[in-house]
Amino acid sequence: MVLELQKPRPIWQIMFSTHHTDIGLLYTIMSLTFLFMGGALALAIRVEMFSPGPQFIADSMTFNRIFTVHGTNMIFLFLLPFASAVGNYFIPIMVRYKDMAYPKLNAIAFWMLPPAAALVWLGFADFGWYAQPPYSAISAPSPAAEMWIFGLKIIGVSSILGAINFIVTILKCKHPDLPLSKVPLLGWSFLSSSLIVLVAIPTFAAALLMLLTDRLGVTGFFNPAMGGDPIAYSHLFWFTFHPEVYVLVIPAIGMMYEIIPRFSRKPIFSHSSGVFAFVLLSIVSFASWAHHMYATGMSFTEKTVFMVGTLAAVPASAMHVFNFLATMWGGRAKYSTPMMWSVGGIALFFSAGAGGVVNTAMPLDFITHDSYWVVGHFHLFVFGTIAFGSFGFLYYMFPFITGRMYNELWGKVHFVLIFIGAVLVFFTQHILGLYGMPRRVFDYPEIPEWIAMNQIQAIGAVLLGVGMTIFLVNLIYSSAKGKEANMEDPFGLGGKYYYPYQAKNPHHD
Amino acid sequence: MSGHSNWSEWVYIGVVVALLAWVGAEAWNIERLVEHVPENAEVIKVTGQQWFWTFEHEDGTKETGELHVKKGVPYKFEITSKDVIHSFNIPDYLVLMDAVPGRINTVWFLPVDEGEFPIQCREYCGLIHYNMRGTLYIEDGA
Amino acid sequence: MKNIIGLFMVLSILVILPTVQIVFAAGDEAGEYIDRRVEIWNLFFRMMTVAFVVGAVVSGTLIWLIWRFRESNPKATPTKYEGTGELDR
Repeated sequence: MVLELQKPRPIWQIMFSTHHTDIGLLYTIMSLTFLFMGGALALAIRVEMFSPGPQFIADSMTFNRIFTVHGTNMIFLFLLPFASAVGNYFIPIMVRYKDMAYPKLNAIAFWMLPPAAALVWLGFADFGWYAQPPYSAISAPSPAAEMWIFGLKIIGVSSILGAINFIVTILKCKHPDLPLSKVPLLGWSFLSSSLIVLVAIPTFAAALLMLLTDRLGVTGFFNPAMGGDPIAYSHLFWFTFHPEVYVLVIPAIGMMYEIIPRFSRKPIFSHSSGVFAFVLLSIVSFASWAHHMYATGMSFTEKTVFMVGTLAAVPASAMHVFNFLATMWGGRAKYSTPMMWSVGGIALFFSAGAGGVVNTAMPLDFITHDSYWVVGHFHLFVFGTIAFGSFGFLYYMFPFITGRMYNELWGKVHFVLIFIGAVLVFFTQHILGLYGMPRRVFDYPEIPEWIAMNQIQAIGAVLLGVGMTIFLVNLIYSSAKGKEANMEDPFGLGGKYYYPYQAKNPHHD
Repeated sequence: MSGHSNWSEWVYIGVVVALLAWVGAEAWNIERLVEHVPENAEVIKVTGQQWFWTFEHEDGTKETGELHVKKGVPYKFEITSKDVIHSFNIPDYLVLMDAVPGRINTVWFLPVDEGEFPIQCREYCGLIHYNMRGTLYIEDGA
Repeated sequence: MKNIIGLFMVLSILVILPTVQIVFAAGDEAGEYIDRRVEIWNLFFRMMTVAFVVGAVVSGTLIWLIWRFRESNPKATPTKYEGTGELDR
């Protein structure tokens, strides 16, 4: 336990700590805070778009800033830090080591994030999380754009430092009696995603710097008048961010690998398939980036190459789905809150992947590109798979962090509301995209089908808001006043709650 | 390590790979068909800028915000932008291609039904992106 | 027998008709141009058919697994790993 609200530790002890469990707690609190802030922005977007004409957001510039910060925040200030939280808590435990390889660097990597977050939120840029030039270079207002650029630069460095720490801890600090092949799949998921980060992020760091100097007028990398090419940015951006979406999903799959076998009271069907699938996905993820750029005027051959690269990544994900289903088969499963989230996440993972295969078929991009289909597709991944897996794992970690149990009934209510809300919002968005509605639009014409689908989404969004509020209350109340957990087996599964080899937090147990 | 991959996982992966190969082959074929521009397609120059579309026909006629074409005649759009990236989109005809400053992208289509069809921008371009619209008028060529 | 007929019909729509289309493909004269809407939506609906069939199999399997192997199922028996200590890693 690191969070005992009834006998609180001095706050500076946690803030200045370099112990992995304390840093895990800092990442957890930070990521959840930004989850709720970004979620409020999303609710504002969906309510604003309930019907044509402005509802309560007065102008399109404010709206454009809201969706930019929503997207940037959710990826960089919720999903990535939450994965870092889980990694920090459990990697040393999984490899049977006392802490991360570089504890002080670990703390530094965390503490870079709050200033970066301040830059992003106070800047409130308007060019979408993609920040594509020429708009972001010649048209987007200052100082928002520069603050966003600096904020993301800092986040990128933090990610790289975190990745180095994870890789060295797993590969070099693991216990001598533990072969790499026996490291749990959650550990392998962090190893894979960290390796992707190391290779992919520097490209975006370069792109950010180039964008900044273009804004300053010093260079013309993306300015045709100076001999540059805006599409060069697209290549640099997507070379990073296609692999980066795998950085986001791989840890969540790893978290499901912790939950599903335990709650099925069976070991994972095939540990080696899981390892193989993670490693394969890490490599193949670099072969598909320009499927985001089919509409930029690429040649037929280029598009074909990237379509093949995209399709090549699907079997690895399919292996994970098989692994989960085969693990559940023959088990005796307890559907507590963590298990419901993980299994719901698999169902939505499949839908997201199926939609993605449709997208990657080159001619179908003429229907779906930059429409609400894409918005629905990626939200089924980031919300339906990654957030579901993360929430499930957070419920599972709750006794580990606080020594108390959350309220199980409200945890299940949370799941049901979110599942229904997610289907209402994100499945509808696929259909809305087929009807031609573009994304990143403040308003839309009075087409009856568009109006109806936007209204369905708004209802779904309200359900999501209610569910997430219940979640927040459950987390806070239970942290302080929840029933004390049986730390041997808080979920009544019959196995040990966590790996037996746990290092002690020097400040308390 | 418990359990190991057996024949069921291999069959499953085989089915997945076969389906993906089918997807790739079909997509490749249809894209090939769709990208083949007829030789006698009439060229229309499309220029996007914040926040409207302008068109120039082969005979020099210019239009702003509206585009008049004839039914049954294939047209090839040569699309560019004057400032930021936009994306020329006629959703009812699945015409979609980015308007990028400094380059010309092409896409062709065949107007089939008479009537009025919306034109919209499909790439975020700033303040009035949401309302960067136009109208396509398809008229009987006779 | 019924299964084979069903399979043959699905295969024909998904595979054989498009292949035949390649042979009789559109040319470049008036009246022979392809309509991109038809081609693209056609591909979309064929892919959606496959996606929903696969989706039905995957989600049907998942729902069955959840139902059959839930601990409250009267047929539920302990797995062979419970009580052995293997679940403690």
